[in-house]
Amino acid sequence: MTPTLLFVVLAGLAAVPGLHRLLVGPTLADRVIGLDLLFAVAIILSMTAALLSQRTVFLDVAIGLAVVGFVATLAWARLIQVRAGGESK
Amino acid sequence: MSDILGWLICGLALVILLIAALGVYRLPDALSRQHAATKAATLSLSLFALGIGLLAWDAAWTWRLILLVAILFGVLPLASHALGQAAATPGDPE
Repeated sequence: MTPTLLFVVLAGLAAVPGLHRLLVGPTLADRVIGLDLLFAVAIILSMTAALLSQRTVFLDVAIGLAVVGFVATLAWARLIQVRAGGESK
Repeated sequence: MSDILGWLICGLALVILLIAALGVYRLPDALSRQHAATKAATLSLSLFALGIGLLAWDAAWTWRLILLVAILFGVLPLASHALGQAAATPGDPE
């Protein structure tokens, strides 16, 4: 399955800028943006794993990743706002 | 026929994901990086789900993918909105 392996390589390539933003992003919001992109790459890799192994279990993993990524992004964004508001007071 | 279409749509989705990653890497400030990451990633994820659904032509896959796309469409705008507000917050601490 050569196209599937190409998918894995391309998705891994897209994970590099997300990891870069997560590690060196100048502000906290940049790090959360990197995390968001990494969650998108993880969902795509999980769907590719479902295609490679022909099992639907990995699609359930993708659904769980989507929900966990939403909660993580929302919590971090709220934390950034609350912290900035607390400091400006 | 459906197989070739599925591979093409999956490839297109990955190209869009790479464009989103390029935007996250190159754009100048946090707000525009958020814009690149969230919108393009949403389009890429839903296109990839469509491609996978075409490749594995099966009801169990289709329902799970429809659930996944419904969750993404319900949830990603909220996350993007909160992320945009956080990126626009003045005096964002390091």
